[in-house]
Amino acid sequence: MARLIRTEKEVEGRFETVWIVVEEDPLEQWPAGPRDVVGRPAARKDAAERVRGEARFTADIRLPGMLHTAVLRSPHAHARANKIDLAPALALPGVRGALGPGEVMGFEAEAGYAGAPVAAVAADTFGQAHAALAAIAVEWEQLEAVLDPEEAVERKLFAADPVHYERGDFERALAEADVVVEGTYRTSVVVHNSMETHQSVCEWVGDTLTVYTSTQYVWGVRDEVAEALAIPADKVRVVCEYMGGGFGSKNSAGEFTFAAAELARRTGRPVRCALTRREENTAAGNRNATIQKLTVGARSDGTIVALGGEYVLALGWGGWSTQTEGPLKMLYACDNVRTDRYAVKLNMPPMKAFRAPGFVEGTFGLECLIDELAVQLDIDPLELRRMNYAGSNDGTPFSSKNLMDCYELAEKHWERRHEVRARSDATWKRGVGMASQVWFGGGGPPSYAWVRVGSDGRAQVVTAMQDIGTGTRTAMAQIAAEELGLPLDRVEVSLGDTSRGPYATLSAGSSTTPSMGPAVRAAAADARRQIIEIAAQRHELEERVINVQHGLAISSDGNLAQPIEELLENVQILGKGARGPNPTGMSVLTFGVQVAEVAVDVETGEVRVERVAAVHDVGRIINTLGAQSQVEGGVIQGIGHTLSEVRLLDPETGRTLTTSLDAYRMPTIADVPEIVCEFVDKPDEHLTNLGSKGLGEPPIIPIAAAIANAIRDATGADVHELPISREEMLRALEAAQRKEPRGAPAAV
Amino acid sequence: MELLRPSSVDELDGGVFVHGGTEVVPLMRDGLLAARTLVDIRDVVPSGVRGRTIGAGTTLAELEADGTIPDALREACRLAASPQLRSMSSLGGNLLQSTRCWYWRLQYPCRLHGGDRCHAREGEHREHAIFANDFCASAHPSDPAAALLALGTRVRTNLRELDLGDLYQLPTQKRREIVTLERGELILELELPAVEASVYLKAMDRQRWAFPQVGVAAAKAGGETRIALAGVAPIPWLLGSLEDATPLPRTAWKVDVAQALVRRALAQLG
Amino acid sequence: MTEVRLTVNGEEHVLDAPIGASLASILRERIGLTGTKIACNEGHCGACTVQIDGTPTLSCITLAHSVRGEVTTIEGLRDHPLVAAFVRADAVQCGFCTPGQVVSAAALVAANPDPTVEEIRHSMAGNICRCGTYPRIEEAILHWRD
Repeated sequence: MARLIRTEKEVEGRFETVWIVVEEDPLEQWPAGPRDVVGRPAARKDAAERVRGEARFTADIRLPGMLHTAVLRSPHAHARANKIDLAPALALPGVRGALGPGEVMGFEAEAGYAGAPVAAVAADTFGQAHAALAAIAVEWEQLEAVLDPEEAVERKLFAADPVHYERGDFERALAEADVVVEGTYRTSVVVHNSMETHQSVCEWVGDTLTVYTSTQYVWGVRDEVAEALAIPADKVRVVCEYMGGGFGSKNSAGEFTFAAAELARRTGRPVRCALTRREENTAAGNRNATIQKLTVGARSDGTIVALGGEYVLALGWGGWSTQTEGPLKMLYACDNVRTDRYAVKLNMPPMKAFRAPGFVEGTFGLECLIDELAVQLDIDPLELRRMNYAGSNDGTPFSSKNLMDCYELAEKHWERRHEVRARSDATWKRGVGMASQVWFGGGGPPSYAWVRVGSDGRAQVVTAMQDIGTGTRTAMAQIAAEELGLPLDRVEVSLGDTSRGPYATLSAGSSTTPSMGPAVRAAAADARRQIIEIAAQRHELEERVINVQHGLAISSDGNLAQPIEELLENVQILGKGARGPNPTGMSVLTFGVQVAEVAVDVETGEVRVERVAAVHDVGRIINTLGAQSQVEGGVIQGIGHTLSEVRLLDPETGRTLTTSLDAYRMPTIADVPEIVCEFVDKPDEHLTNLGSKGLGEPPIIPIAAAIANAIRDATGADVHELPISREEMLRALEAAQRKEPRGAPAAV
Repeated sequence: MELLRPSSVDELDGGVFVHGGTEVVPLMRDGLLAARTLVDIRDVVPSGVRGRTIGAGTTLAELEADGTIPDALREACRLAASPQLRSMSSLGGNLLQSTRCWYWRLQYPCRLHGGDRCHAREGEHREHAIFANDFCASAHPSDPAAALLALGTRVRTNLRELDLGDLYQLPTQKRREIVTLERGELILELELPAVEASVYLKAMDRQRWAFPQVGVAAAKAGGETRIALAGVAPIPWLLGSLEDATPLPRTAWKVDVAQALVRRALAQLG
Repeated sequence: MTEVRLTVNGEEHVLDAPIGASLASILRERIGLTGTKIACNEGHCGACTVQIDGTPTLSCITLAHSVRGEVTTIEGLRDHPLVAAFVRADAVQCGFCTPGQVVSAAALVAANPDPTVEEIRHSMAGNICRCGTYPRIEEAILHWRD
């Protein structure tokens, strides 16, 4: 039975209220613990084709007559293209079409950053398109460029309204505190740099458009493209079965998609528009830099009484103002909190969501601050965190919170600090540090799925979702297999095509598993009910004595044990399911703690991460093998932004300097520490028929602070800036030396 | 564009020399090198190690695997670039590689491009030089070059013989190139003197596949020790004294790193 | 346009291409072997790695006309035990870097069937993975014959 309800939906920490149609969701959660299929390690269903290079990514799409697009980008940090003449470009050999500013969404005459797209040319080869860019005559009027975030704050060049938050009485609580610690923390711009660049291939057949695109949201692209072209949404088909990474940068269509669609319309040929790696580093979006001025006040017994923060987000030319103060507000029990957030508009590339936007930056500042407080109070950092455990989210109860379990599991890793410190020598100082995290990850409606069970006893999950590399395809297959009582190798998943399957949510914000999973289970349960109904009719039994398990329809007295392919004969079952609402009046959050062991070469400033223990509470784990991979991947990506990745701009021209991967340095296999993964794996009993939350983002959140805190443990040096380059490490070591000359390593 | 394949030095007649292509191909693509004629010199330049003579066509991977060559060179090759690049690039080509300075690579009209500014000096220079950086603050990226310079290597081209140090010169107002080879001149072989011991230490900001922030090569021969640095000057830098360093505001940290690595290198030499 | 002859996965191909065309572009656009991926197109990331006479080579900066030796792409390694090892170890997430990883790994185990962790890290450092599957790749190579 269908119901219309109003519920809250969260993505990437942003909440909106939505009206949705849901089916009743009467399924009870499975009891905790590994099941036949769910809660066990499962090899990825599509691993072989990816490993063998047979998986077709957007980059591999080849259509007859396909044209290639090159994009003209502003060389100036802020300028207006007053006159632009495409005719000379159109006259060149192989050039078939061109578009200028204002003709397509995302191509503006006012370029707000160096690299902003202004015009595009489509030609037979990419070389011809690229060469044609030089022929486009542009009259640039240079405008004032603002590149300094603090200047922008002063001048009130806000990208969004400043956000003020308070509870209790911060000033008074701070005045009454026994210990106050203040610090300024800075994080840098880092770039997603997915291995497959942003790209789309668009082809019109009649008045129907097919868009092959590397995206995290096929339905979102469909709707955006339809709106941009002013055509009905079902005249747009979006296909993305395999995509080479997103991490938040591919949540929407992108100007390259609009350009390809328009150029395809004008030329009558399929058109590819693909960003080069240089363009990825310049204009494809990034995590914004932050300046965080933080204050914590505590009693000498360790009770945190006041937390305050002033956050400046250097947003760039676009993007949105993330809740960077979220961890400070949410992670600890503190009655007196005050935060102010300023997101400034600058003439540099725009912010785009990047794996736990805002919370990565905010957790670095907060968890370093808390650790510095622990040092001042002379209280064990783990103990301090436990003492200030938040039992609710500012009064709202949690749907589930097992952070205390995480702390307990972390104890043995924290205990290693004595042995780790003892392995220090004159050159290498070793230490251990920790950081905890809070994030979202409850997902939400709407999401829909169908489950077909064929007369061959095999099932197919059909939904227009994506698997962006996180293994969601396999997790959905496991859920369906578990509910249907089928072995995993008899369940396939059809995804990535808006013309094939119902609406599915975007794969961002750690939302796929908690959003799609329950819909898939509901659809599988619907199919299972129908199978049982058929068995009941055929064998003249009551439905309640029949079950489906291991591919058989079985009766409780054991007399019936029929393979379902026999039972179904020529019948195909179709089950439908929808994602129900989230629990009302509760905060659905994920939690975790990471413990890092580092070695610091105190003469050269080299930092090596030797071991990371990552303990996460994300509700029920569907695929224990895939979950471990997510944690490792997040930790490794986090090590990148902590130690070696930084996007640099020329201060004079505002142009990106780190445009290639020799300059923008991501971790290699040689940079990976030992990573130990643990999960609390307790279903969230209030959350859907699964009790599962998302895991894509939690693992990247605490790693920077854990490393910084380990560095403090090893050397006494406070690093307040990411990345922790050798320059920053040497500065911090020197500052620590000036404060308190270090003698022999601490006695153990 | 055409591609010629001469089979001997006598057949050389202009064009842009290419061996493994790891330098030339990206530079051409970026418009930093104009070439109408490419000359594949793989059959012209000797490869392989014979005693203390190394053919300029020998790859870094081959040198990495060769236990007979001095430690400094072997280690410099081992820590250079990526495994694929080590297999593809010749020693000769590696010595002639261009700076990674982003202003140069992005074709800012800087001094090395014939202009009248060093954009790095006034701009973003955290990876740049601490010596001889007044005119141009670029850093030389070759690990093997520093090792060979410390080892006191002789270079034999198709036109002359010279000390490795003379292969390079700092850019000046009159001449903006850092390499002294004449047009049509080709490095054929490198001759290593006997050394008692040598070492190469490298600071980079990920464990592998990064250009030297600071690379220190040290070699002891006949009671004399030579130290050469990578990543600290527009050319491979034979060290006089670190006291002579003229760091920029954001390269001062390199002096500290260099001090530590020089100390360690000397200690390892014994 | 000049003739280029390439032996790829044991098959000979003769075609015309302009000097300057990369081996990667010929493999992908002309021969139809799209398993080899281009992620940076300038030799920095390793996604385009193929073998030439068994040596891992960056095909995006290799001039097609200068290739000497036999080219092996991921398509030629589809039955290599490493493929099953990568699947078992879950050494793949988005999969875009994976063909290059397998090609480099295959060259490593051909020269050294029992590499140590250190040797694996040293030999695979030229294949960047943004998803961070590195621990799984290491495991796949350690147990490639299991």
